[in-house]
Amino acid sequence: MQTNCGGRRQAAPGEGEVAVLGGTREALARPWHVTELGARVPRVCDRRWTTRSRGAPSVPGEAAEGGPQGTRPGRTAPTQAPQSHTQKWGRGPRRPPQASAGDHHARLLHAQAQRQGRRGWAESRPEVPRRTGLPPKPASRNFPEVPLPAGTLGCWATGAGGAGGLSAAPSKPSVAPTSYPGNFPSSPLPFLTPLLASRNPCPWHYVHLSGSHDTFVATCFEAKLHRERSGLTLGVACTLTDSASRAMATYTYTYTSRPRALPCRRRRYRDDQMQPAEEAMRYGNIMYDRRVIRGSTYALQTAPLPGQPDPAETQRQQRATRRALARKRAQEQLRPRTPDPVEGRKHVDVQTELYLEEIADRIIEVDVECQTDAFLDKPPTLLFIPAKTGKDVATQILEGELFDFDLEVKPMLEVLVGKTIEQSLLEVMEEEELANLRARQRAHEELRNVELAEVQRLEERERRHREEKERRKQQQWQVVHKHNETAQKIAAQAFAQRYLADLLPSVFSSLRDGGYFYDPVERDIEIGFLPWLMNEVDKTMERSMVGRTVVDMLIREVVEKRLSLYERKEDKHSSLKPEDGLSGPGGMRDPLEGYEFQGHGASQAQRPLPHRDSPQRTPYDARYMQRVSSQERKLMEEEDEQTEMRQSFRSEELLQ
Amino acid sequence: MPLPDTMFCAQQIRIPPELPDILKQFTKAAIRTQPADVLQWSAGYFSALSRGDPLPVKDRIEMPMATQKTDTGLTQGLLKVLHKQCSHKEYVELADLEQKWKNLCLPVEKFRALLQLDPCKDKIEGIRFLALGCSMLGGSLNTAMKHLCEILTADPEGGPARIPFETFSYVYRYLSGLDSDIPASDTESYLSSLKDSVDSRKNGMIGLSDFLHSKEENLENLEKKTQKT
Repeated sequence: MQTNCGGRRQAAPGEGEVAVLGGTREALARPWHVTELGARVPRVCDRRWTTRSRGAPSVPGEAAEGGPQGTRPGRTAPTQAPQSHTQKWGRGPRRPPQASAGDHHARLLHAQAQRQGRRGWAESRPEVPRRTGLPPKPASRNFPEVPLPAGTLGCWATGAGGAGGLSAAPSKPSVAPTSYPGNFPSSPLPFLTPLLASRNPCPWHYVHLSGSHDTFVATCFEAKLHRERSGLTLGVACTLTDSASRAMATYTYTYTSRPRALPCRRRRYRDDQMQPAEEAMRYGNIMYDRRVIRGSTYALQTAPLPGQPDPAETQRQQRATRRALARKRAQEQLRPRTPDPVEGRKHVDVQTELYLEEIADRIIEVDVECQTDAFLDKPPTLLFIPAKTGKDVATQILEGELFDFDLEVKPMLEVLVGKTIEQSLLEVMEEEELANLRARQRAHEELRNVELAEVQRLEERERRHREEKERRKQQQWQVVHKHNETAQKIAAQAFAQRYLADLLPSVFSSLRDGGYFYDPVERDIEIGFLPWLMNEVDKTMERSMVGRTVVDMLIREVVEKRLSLYERKEDKHSSLKPEDGLSGPGGMRDPLEGYEFQGHGASQAQRPLPHRDSPQRTPYDARYMQRVSSQERKLMEEEDEQTEMRQSFRSEELLQ
Repeated sequence: MPLPDTMFCAQQIRIPPELPDILKQFTKAAIRTQPADVLQWSAGYFSALSRGDPLPVKDRIEMPMATQKTDTGLTQGLLKVLHKQCSHKEYVELADLEQKWKNLCLPVEKFRALLQLDPCKDKIEGIRFLALGCSMLGGSLNTAMKHLCEILTADPEGGPARIPFETFSYVYRYLSGLDSDIPASDTESYLSSLKDSVDSRKNGMIGLSDFLHSKEENLENLEKKTQKT
């Protein structure tokens, strides 16, 4: 196989920019690389079910210079038409993707691939001629294919596919025989190529067709993408695509693939146990793929000795991939999942679909129990009786020979009697002692009681004596006190008598002076009679005065009349002398006085009770009034005197 | 399992369970009473025990101050035992009394001599017999009364030994009546004086201290009187 590669590689370095790796998902590599990778990576085999359109890197130059390929004419598969460079051979209906899943599957495949790798080339080789049966076209347009690498790849891929088929054997046992690398490309080719050959020269396309497991939709897209890329990387690719399009023009591209969901970068559901193989569908940037060599390939020649890839290197890579795989799986495991059920509960799958369907694959569980019998109690161990040894001998003993009661009872009796006596002696002694103590105690108590009584008696006597003494002292004190008191009283009496000896006369004299000792008749006259008398006198005087006033008025009137008459007469008889006799009593008076009196009398007549204090009092009146007032004053003074006396008397009494 | 008829070892001897107790009580009684003739006394003890009568046992151990060689052998303890045995009846059969006397290992001659003081036919008043015994114990009337009080009292030993005044006056009159030397008027006056002092305490009980003390007081009074005169 490596020789194969080597052969291929020799051709490749010149222009071999693009080599298609059938096995890897999206890897583009040099042919020799591819083989290496293909040999290394068993996962290649996973994609065994997709339609394998095998397009050779349609590089015209390559084709032209495909010397090594040309050396093996059988392997260079000349396209039927210049437009169709690629042979596409599909292999039966696609299998469901899950059939290819599983790690063990991958391992199996790997193992098989290893096995086949050894003989793959040899086996594939003889079949090449079938392909060569197609008219080879060594023209410029002849795309030399990568029959050789493709072939090898195909070997691997088919090998892998075969392995996949193996795993899926129960469903499709018929695939098994086709699992040989050489077998696969050869057998479907004859009848498939005319049907399905879509001559897609795009190596990328091929890659995807072969590499992607279930993404056939993507292939178209990828084809474009790769077209562009190829345009970038290889100038040849453009021509290739052109030719491809031309080929498309002639042959309708009839590719059918199963409809499927677009791959999603992010998973929607956890499907770790269901489809781990889906993992493989990651498209990375090829520019960063380590397996793709960039830059000049010349420089690279030295690094890995092409002929013999380092087995250690291989191993290391394998290990790395395995590690990566494990890491991926671990990451999946670490993904957040439904939290663990609470203690005592467990998760149960619940159908959440709209329409419930019966879950038929549920295993019916049946509980079966079995119970062993309880352990029986261990029976008690039998008493160990040693076997009898010795010899039995009998002899007769008469009654009384062995046992003498009197003899035997003696120690017992001794003990009994001795103990009894000892005990009773002790008890008697103890009781006696206690009784003695108690008797002594009581006697003492009795004595004490007697003494107490005696003491009480003495105390009582003492108390009585003391009380008697106190009483007597008290009596004596009382006597003395009374004596003193009497003496003091007598002295006081004597002193008082002497002190008050001249008090009485003075008091009497003062009282008498104060008018407290009076004659009742006199007093009655003074108080009752004299005011009445004065009143009466007053009244009488008033009456007489009124009468006099009336008379005065009369006289005055008469005098005035006379006077007027007289004056008239005088006027008539001016020479006529006034007559004294005619004046009468009125003439005696001073005319002025008469006038005065008249005026006064008139005023008095008008008032029935003339006021005595009036300033216009007549002298008579004044005199009278004086008299009356003096009398009154005298009375008042007397009264005042009396009140004074009374007051003094009272004050004296108070003093006394 | 009943014992087999034949015995083979000492372990088969069975002691009645009541025996040790009875034996112990008997031993104690004997030690306490100290009878001169243990056998005689034991007969009386067990007969009294079987009849359920009061046992002829002294309450207290008495030092053997009374021996039958010099005196009657009668002691206050023995008199008390006799009184205890006879006190449940007012009158005591002479025969019964004599039997009890004998059981106490007292000589019968003394019993006869005692009864000669107050001759009577078949039965004698218990209290009188006690009074006679008391008069036999000590010399004077006062000592006899003291013994009587100590025997008759319900107070614990060593206490004031009080007895009802009626009993006291009865015994006193009885004993003084036996003695021809004491005039009845003296007895009455003495009793009346005692009665005053007893009545003053209002419990009707007379104790040792009362009449012994009063006696001393009387003596003192007499001395004072004599001195004054």
